[in-house]
Amino acid sequence: MRRILFAILIVGAVPALTFAQGGRGGGRGGPPPQGKAGAPVDLSGYWVSPIFEDYRWRMFTPLKGDAASVPINDAARKIVDAWDPAKDEAAGEQCKAYGAAGIMRVPGRLHITWQDDNTLKIETDAGTQTRLFHFTGQAPKEGEPSWQGYSAAKWEVTALPGGPAGVGLGMLPRQGTKSRTLDVVTTQLRPGYLRKNGVPYGANTTLTEYYDHWSEPSGQEWFTVTTVVTDPEYLAIPFVTTTDFKKEPDGSKFNPRPCTAR
Amino acid sequence: MKIFKQIGIAGLLVLTSVPGYSEIDFTGSWTPLFHEDYPERFPGPELGDYMGIPVNAAGRLRGDSYDADRISMVSQYECRPHGSDYNMRGSANLRISRDLDPVTQAPVAFHTFIGFQSAQRTIWLDGRPHPPEYADHSWAGFSTGVWDGNMLNITTTHLKEYYIRRNGVPRSDQAVVTEHWTRHGNYLTVIVVINDPVFLTEPLVRSENWIYDPGQEILPSNCEPAPEVPNPPGVITPHHLPGTNPFLHEVADWYGIPYDAVRGGAETMRPEYRKVMGKPEHVPEKCERYCDCGKDAGACNLH
Amino acid sequence: MKWRAAILAAGVCGWLVSAAGQQPQQNFDNVKIQVTPVQKNIYMLFGAGGNVTVQGGKDGVLLIDTEFEPLVPKLMAEIKKLSDGPIQYIINTHVHGDHVGGNDAFYKLIPKNPQLPLNIIAHANVLNRLTAPGPNGAPGTSTAEHPGFPEDEYDTPYKDFYYNGEPIFIYHEPNAHTDGDSVILFRGSDVVTTGDIFTPDSYPFIDIARGGSVKGEIDALDHILELTVPADHQEGGTYVIPGHGRVCDEADVVEFRDMVVIVKDRVQDLIKKGKTLDQVKASKPTEDYDTEYGANGADRFVEAVYKSLSGK
Repeated sequence: MRRILFAILIVGAVPALTFAQGGRGGGRGGPPPQGKAGAPVDLSGYWVSPIFEDYRWRMFTPLKGDAASVPINDAARKIVDAWDPAKDEAAGEQCKAYGAAGIMRVPGRLHITWQDDNTLKIETDAGTQTRLFHFTGQAPKEGEPSWQGYSAAKWEVTALPGGPAGVGLGMLPRQGTKSRTLDVVTTQLRPGYLRKNGVPYGANTTLTEYYDHWSEPSGQEWFTVTTVVTDPEYLAIPFVTTTDFKKEPDGSKFNPRPCTAR
Repeated sequence: MKIFKQIGIAGLLVLTSVPGYSEIDFTGSWTPLFHEDYPERFPGPELGDYMGIPVNAAGRLRGDSYDADRISMVSQYECRPHGSDYNMRGSANLRISRDLDPVTQAPVAFHTFIGFQSAQRTIWLDGRPHPPEYADHSWAGFSTGVWDGNMLNITTTHLKEYYIRRNGVPRSDQAVVTEHWTRHGNYLTVIVVINDPVFLTEPLVRSENWIYDPGQEILPSNCEPAPEVPNPPGVITPHHLPGTNPFLHEVADWYGIPYDAVRGGAETMRPEYRKVMGKPEHVPEKCERYCDCGKDAGACNLH
Repeated sequence: MKWRAAILAAGVCGWLVSAAGQQPQQNFDNVKIQVTPVQKNIYMLFGAGGNVTVQGGKDGVLLIDTEFEPLVPKLMAEIKKLSDGPIQYIINTHVHGDHVGGNDAFYKLIPKNPQLPLNIIAHANVLNRLTAPGPNGAPGTSTAEHPGFPEDEYDTPYKDFYYNGEPIFIYHEPNAHTDGDSVILFRGSDVVTTGDIFTPDSYPFIDIARGGSVKGEIDALDHILELTVPADHQEGGTYVIPGHGRVCDEADVVEFRDMVVIVKDRVQDLIKKGKTLDQVKASKPTEDYDTEYGANGADRFVEAVYKSLSGK
């Protein structure tokens, strides 16, 4: 019996080592490639977000005091009730609602390109904002907070990197799931608004996003970004939304326009 | 020699074994997050609110004619579950389980159970075909799923007629619904695409999030239809005659929105609509309804 | 869905124009008979005309409706796959050609057995209409010319008998789709066959000339709802085989009934306001149902409702 078990272990270990990288690519023992080389999906192009959900909070500037659906706390409620767009304009803060934590919900179009092999660039026509997703794998340097902050990106890997994906006792090891998701974590954000009517997020906000590409049976491409806003200052719990973007054939409708506070 | 024979046998066993499966495990208990459209999804949509729906004239008129008294007066409506597409809007808590083939351990199906009206659904993963066109329809429909990396793509046909929104905007029994499920840690993201040639001019795309909640208990929902309200004389099915629904302007007035936008339609959903939309007839000074809905991750109250 | 409505309309027109027994000119060569199990030993066969219900068991075979005559050989071939027992009963739900057209052909194909005679059952008004004199005084046809006519007629509110291990009820639904409609309940199998009172993929054809009326249509649908019992949360339980279209249950009948009621209410309201038939049609009282039930049948439906309600 022991000999059989030993034999199975030997034979099982060979394919386990062969499939060590699980998810995607990679030489044996090395991490999978990131950046443009490692892209499992193509997010480049022009995209529009038709407003199917949260319509009256996105297509219009909601009424003052309307924070429905956002898990704000008492501190945020005070700011919501005190919102004054004229003050924001006077202070040159018309772009408060176009920061990274809220920009994907503003009606508009995106133009996504590779700035270089390790930087994915998202330009928005609403508010003419630019987000840069850095695939360097390095921690963000200390910097001035900004509307778009610093975004560290990686293609999601669900198999364990660098080691066996699983050892089978008599069964072939788990191959691991080939993820097609782009994970992005953004910090160093300047305080802004989750909605145009002054629902706030603070300076200690961490924004986590998951970009998932999918297609309709007709072939029409979309991506959906799941956005998790974690703000210990103004949110009782992380605020989670999903926004859907439809690919357009060209940029003929891309319409850059400045931020507005109203 | 014996050891080599044993290695050979073991090797054969391994080589003929089916490899592990590339898939995400969705099983478990999930609670819906209402961080989008909370007032519509939970307390209920305002009458005449068709915003965000690429509805056609037929769907609009059906919504205008709808009278919610139908649920009380027509007993056959009382215990209806939601359609499986509407259930993914998060009407109630969700439990997902799965069947594995006992020999190959290959996943055969996911099963969902939603607490409201004990709605159950099977998503077949074994490649079986959908029933023919003339087979019966159900609230859950017939669903099959195919993996694409870490995303499960689901196609559902054979749905009974139901609603896109609970204020009467219908979804026909000819619709085909596709879904895309993915999981990121403790978040389950479900994208639902409704293709309805009867009431929509283009696909409706909505996406919801659920959070893993292993501690929840979902109880069965027992419902027995019973006459709740006597029908007025001559009334079998309550409805508004065309042009007589008195409630259609409420949502525009309550929230300061142009009436045309409230009527929905694909053209109202593009960003460029903001250039051409009219002005609202009435704009309140500030929020008066559902202003604190969801505050402190709590309930959604009107005031 | 809409092409089926067109074929139905063509088939019915054939019967409306010609004396009983003449078949519409149509090519059935490419029509395939689809078979779907419904519940227990009840099956639905679908071809080009009305749905055919088949009950098979130890006693033999019972059919409800017989499609168009050219399709009978194909129907017979499918029935033989379900049961090799003798066909002992044919029940006709109503007089229209796409439901009775195959009666003669079945009669000729089924071996004669004095111990197991073929019973062809329908409400008395079906036979009356099939044998009625034609237009301009033309003589009516007779059962001698058409041995498949339903001579086992009934004129009571209902008729029942026991077959293949279950009670079968045949209910007369007065002045609904026509004046000779029958709804059949298989009490053991828990299946209801409705004829053209219920057609989930098209507007009901209320045949005013043959005694149909919108009040009778609604009453018949309400009766079907009394017969059906859903198994769990308004689904399953009693299955319903419509005159045309897919297998249904109570929830589907409710949607259809509500559509008829709502359109009737709208037309009634316009009649009260003094609108003519053309004005009623122009106001499009079926606009929100046309994409579902087919705009082709809308005018005919509205006209029938108008005539039912106004008496004009």
